[in-house]
Amino acid sequence: MRNISVFRQIITQLILLLVGLFILIPVWSTVRLAFDGSLRGRPTEFTWLPKEFSTEAFTKVLDRPYQSVEFNVLLRNSMIVSIGAAILAILLGISLAYGFARFRFPTKNTGLFVLLLAALLPPIAFATPLYIILSLLKIRTTLIGLVIVYAAFAMPFAVWNMRAAFQAIPKEIEEAAYLDGANHFQTFLNISLPISMPSIAVTAMIAFLMGYTEFAIGWLFVDKADNVTLSMATYALVNGQFSGAQPWSYLGSLAIIMSIPVMVVFIFFQETLMERLLFQETS
Amino acid sequence: MQKFQSPLRILAIVAVLFIAWALRANAVQKLSIDYDEDDYMRAAQEYAHLIRTSSWSGFLETNYRTEHPPLAKIVIGLSFLTAPEEKLVADRPTTSEPNKYLPRPLVKAGRTTNAVFGWLTVALLAIINPLAGLALATHTFTIKYVSQIMLEALPALMSFSMVLTYLQFKKNRKTGWLITSAIFLGLTAASKYLYCVIGIAILVDWFMDAKDRDEVKPFFKQALLWGFLGVIIFFAADPFLWADPIQRLRESVFYHAGYSTTAAEVQSANFPFWQPLNWLVFSPSVWHPDVFKFSPDFIIAVLAVFGLSRLWKKERLYVLWLGFALLFLLFWPTKWPQYILTLTVPLSLSAAEGLAEIWQSIVAVFKAKKPIFNKKESRQAIPWLVPGLIAFAVLTLLPFLFQLGVSLTDFNSASIRDGFQGGIWREISGGLTGQIEPVTPEFPFRSKEVQFTGISGYQPVFEFLVTGQGIFIFNIFWMVVSTSLQVFLGFGLAILLNQRGVKLSKFWQAFFILPWAIPEFIGALMWLNIFVPEIGWLSLAAKKYGEAFPLQFLIGWERTPSLWFLIFLIPAVWYGFPLIMLAVNAGLKTIPKEVFEAASIDGANSWQILSGITLPLLIPVLLPAVIIRGIYTFNQFYLFQAFPFREGTLANISYNIFNPSSRFGGGQFAVSAIINILTVIILIALVTLFNRRMQTREEFINA
Repeated sequence: MRNISVFRQIITQLILLLVGLFILIPVWSTVRLAFDGSLRGRPTEFTWLPKEFSTEAFTKVLDRPYQSVEFNVLLRNSMIVSIGAAILAILLGISLAYGFARFRFPTKNTGLFVLLLAALLPPIAFATPLYIILSLLKIRTTLIGLVIVYAAFAMPFAVWNMRAAFQAIPKEIEEAAYLDGANHFQTFLNISLPISMPSIAVTAMIAFLMGYTEFAIGWLFVDKADNVTLSMATYALVNGQFSGAQPWSYLGSLAIIMSIPVMVVFIFFQETLMERLLFQETS
Repeated sequence: MQKFQSPLRILAIVAVLFIAWALRANAVQKLSIDYDEDDYMRAAQEYAHLIRTSSWSGFLETNYRTEHPPLAKIVIGLSFLTAPEEKLVADRPTTSEPNKYLPRPLVKAGRTTNAVFGWLTVALLAIINPLAGLALATHTFTIKYVSQIMLEALPALMSFSMVLTYLQFKKNRKTGWLITSAIFLGLTAASKYLYCVIGIAILVDWFMDAKDRDEVKPFFKQALLWGFLGVIIFFAADPFLWADPIQRLRESVFYHAGYSTTAAEVQSANFPFWQPLNWLVFSPSVWHPDVFKFSPDFIIAVLAVFGLSRLWKKERLYVLWLGFALLFLLFWPTKWPQYILTLTVPLSLSAAEGLAEIWQSIVAVFKAKKPIFNKKESRQAIPWLVPGLIAFAVLTLLPFLFQLGVSLTDFNSASIRDGFQGGIWREISGGLTGQIEPVTPEFPFRSKEVQFTGISGYQPVFEFLVTGQGIFIFNIFWMVVSTSLQVFLGFGLAILLNQRGVKLSKFWQAFFILPWAIPEFIGALMWLNIFVPEIGWLSLAAKKYGEAFPLQFLIGWERTPSLWFLIFLIPAVWYGFPLIMLAVNAGLKTIPKEVFEAASIDGANSWQILSGITLPLLIPVLLPAVIIRGIYTFNQFYLFQAFPFREGTLANISYNIFNPSSRFGGGQFAVSAIINILTVIILIALVTLFNRRMQTREEFINA
């Protein structure tokens, strides 16, 4: 096959450029706001570039972005909640995933169906009963409560994906271990787990990101400023923005700060993340 | 077998005919006078008068409401001859309220005539498929509009006859059938223009058929003659046109274009462009509760979705009919409910096939061989499964069962104290054991103590979602359109980037992933900065550049449902396409390069390679990814939640109705639980679809 003609190259590049612009529009609109030092409240005129270039908004949100809560506290809360939820989901789900991957038993197909269904439900379908149950247990507004809720969202997905990872291990490797006299548990611990560690790490990362970027359920559960997470604070800025109490540059700068680590992760692991998020079996 | 079945079949047909007539006669009697009935009655009265006085030349100059051709009105006029002549009803603008004081004998005569045509349509359908006949016989929208003095009954019958005669021609190639079909085409056009869209479906089917037989040239000749004959019959049946054909035809047809954009009643209705889909799941039983006790419209529409592929295999023309009519209605700016009568015949057929399809799947599940399990292996699995199962039960299953229980009560933020002190449990257990009688409180729930309602809450919530706000259809339509656009863009870009020798392809690919790498809600907030009314980038640009700004038409999008849809599609596609692009990329890598090279050596051009090799190899691999993407889109939550509106998907409604501190009157815990359960039911259907595709994919890969 030969390379494409010059004419087709030009047309292709033009289309790609158009799509590139489409991608850039909202990003640029936010960057333009974030670096605009002239904003005291809502923007009042259309500009392509920031009117007065300034990084003041970044220093402000890195200090106290939401009410009087420090950025560090928000970040800490975010980390507790998302790391806690990821670890909980993995720990609670890993043996179930291995069971589904390695054994045949009655009701297995029904179980897989329920698992898949649970992984694809919108978070709100879990959140409302958990709201009532955690209220009854009097831990609804705590960080522990949020960890439990986010772990509940992430667990079905984590089980489904770890199952795929365990299934991808060739059976012969495990059978060799049995022949050497290892039992199921030893084989799992010494063979299967180390082999599938990369996949489990990716699953954990997705579970982490679920908690890191969640705000709506958070606001439903938490009502103390001290327990607010970073993404909840970002969303809270929208209200401040609309009332004109805060300059629109704050939301833009916090959004950028929040997104950068996520973007790095996505760019590095794009193929794997794509497979996981589309529930594909290959790995 | 066939012989044994036929008496049963005849019995079924007779039963359907009986039901159809009973329901139509009831509607003729009881339906209140509707909009437009006075107009068409006046038109028919004029014709009746002309016939009584034998002033035949009057037909050349008479056509009240010239936007519709006269045939259906003349036929109603004929029926008026059976009743004594009445004073001509008043000429009133189309915006006026229904005229309640129409002469009863004329109402009865005109409506009965239409009901007879409606009944004949059912009869023809029942002969083809009794079950489909039953669907059409009981479809409440169809009953309503064929049992009033409207112009739907006759064109519906004529167009169906056109299809049936064409199908006879397709089967036995006898020219007589084709001529009959052309006659019905003319009569359809002379009754109501809208129904001619069915003729387009016929032409497409005919063309596809001719292409299969390699008879494209004779097709053009025959189709031209068919159309020509139709036009002649149309003119013959439309005496109003004889005096000044071109001018009058133009006025009559162009009226509709003007009507849809200027008429006050069309403007004030402010329907979204997908309103025809809402009409399909809606039922006029809301307007006439005493006439329609039972409404299968929703079920028929849902079943029809499942029957499409079966119907296509049996007779693709009906699917084309359904598709073209629906497409036309989606684009046609006027959205009156009676227009869906253009497609209720194929809809009923598809619903019958859908029922058969579902029945077959159920039988297949029961007939499937149970796999044999190794007892020892099953026992070994137990210790692995138990810890996770306990966690899963505590975190997911039990809360869900609890939710099911809450949905049977009226638990809300006013009864939160009682609820948390054991009220929920008291009512659920009492209600389920029959100790507490279910109550049906007013909606929204405001009681101070939790009460057991049983399933009585489901119906009002269902009506709120399906008929009241149209969220159900919005959500499904949103999923279909948004996912299609994401797939289209993602697929197109992957193909473009994978051409040989595209410069900067690595850079573009990395760049295009950006929207996906930004958390969804942050992407939504970025778009919010642009689209938010009054102060967003868009509004500011419109203010600065004035009329010269090309996107001026988008200003005020929050007040127009169709623009609302468009505005949200933009960030949804922006966020969703990269994932599809990556999946296509990965899929392309699985196709060996030699395949393309061989095709290119054989002289295939790039379009042939794309449609002949790439697509067929990619589709089975991609379908599961597309379905998953569709489910995500169905559940899209953060995008809508970031914008300051209440509307969105079912998930948004559930959240905003639940949230006690919501700006939109939340705290309706029980209602939110019901919505969640309905969501789960819909998702079960979607995940079943995914599971099936996944299995076929595995077969494909293993093959």
